[in-house]
Amino acid sequence: MVETKLLDAEEYRRLCDYLYRHTGMSFTETRRYFVERRVEERMIATGSSSFASYFSRLRTNMQGELEKLINASTVNETYFYREDHQFACLTANLLQERLRVKLPGETMRIWSAPCSTGEEPYSIAIWLLENWAEVDAHDVEIVGSDIDTNVLEAARAGIFGKRALMRLSPALADKYFTPAGPEHWQIIDELRQSVRFTAANIVERAETRPHGLFDVIFCRNLLIYFDDASRRVAAENLYESLAPGGYICLGHAESMSRISSLFEVCRFADAIVYRRPPEAPHG
Amino acid sequence: MADRKMRILVVDDANLVRLYYRQILEEADFEVEEALNGLEALERLLVSPADALIVDINMPRMDGVTFLRALRRQALPLSSIPALVTSTESSATDVEAARVAGANFYCAKPIGREDLARIMAMFCGAPQ
Repeated sequence: MVETKLLDAEEYRRLCDYLYRHTGMSFTETRRYFVERRVEERMIATGSSSFASYFSRLRTNMQGELEKLINASTVNETYFYREDHQFACLTANLLQERLRVKLPGETMRIWSAPCSTGEEPYSIAIWLLENWAEVDAHDVEIVGSDIDTNVLEAARAGIFGKRALMRLSPALADKYFTPAGPEHWQIIDELRQSVRFTAANIVERAETRPHGLFDVIFCRNLLIYFDDASRRVAAENLYESLAPGGYICLGHAESMSRISSLFEVCRFADAIVYRRPPEAPHG
Repeated sequence: MADRKMRILVVDDANLVRLYYRQILEEADFEVEEALNGLEALERLLVSPADALIVDINMPRMDGVTFLRALRRQALPLSSIPALVTSTESSATDVEAARVAGANFYCAKPIGREDLARIMAMFCGAPQ
């Protein structure tokens, strides 16, 4: 290849070490092109003349540069009703199981992390309205969290393109969205008010702890970006964020059993999910 | 046929519940207003009256029972708007508290889609 690399091997290693320590995301040589392009964009945006000057800006986090580079480096592609067999499992099994051990009137808490631009937590709200006959009988809190603050802004605004809506039936799209410009739709206000969005880095216990305990966590297609050590930290944090007996749903290519023995695997008709073991021995 | 749609005020602090009831009622051709608690409901009714109410019990700032007591003390016709009380609490004492406060009917949640539409049609005297 004749293309000159923006960073030499040592610079790339230092950058990746730095990102790893602050985000848990592990960028190997195979993702070098992707990382260099993001760095290049940020160097231009900040007027940095060399990588050295950009890196010192990053390390001193001048004008929130770390957050800006993270925002540019995360992958945020998703859509409504993605892997909806897990939502079917949620209403058919997980919520019922949780209700058996919750006190009457206790809020059912569901966490979508990472939530990207909001497709997943909004999908959960729509799914509950459409498919859970007891939706009016329980207080439900849906929280969406992401490390990327730009996507959280987009999630709050709730405006989506055609691709995000591709799996929704026209009837559902019509019921829960209003047109917002060419080929764009905004999710209705009532749904925007039904989901709370917060910033959180899953590998930072100090950032996950304040969110309290959840009954069900959706953490899909995040762990694949981590190396083994970060995955274990993430698994421990997710475990600590689950109520005893609470469930976690991962992406279809992910397996918690390979990462951690904290959870037990549960097979339901629609999905395989993981559970933090209940405290009472009889379960 | 009436020259306007029957208007129902849904008083419930849960966003998803209000949205769920709104969808059911709009499909059944009602007009729907919303309030997050009893105080907001009273204020809203003073501005634009409703034909019937759906009132949750457990709400912050002013609960459903307190709201009904306050509503029934207002002047006619405000004081006589029929109210369906809905709650996850279904003990005899909860039902009795709602009845004494002025509820017209009491339903334990969850309420089926068809049941809710049918009960509200009856409350409004809408021919079926």
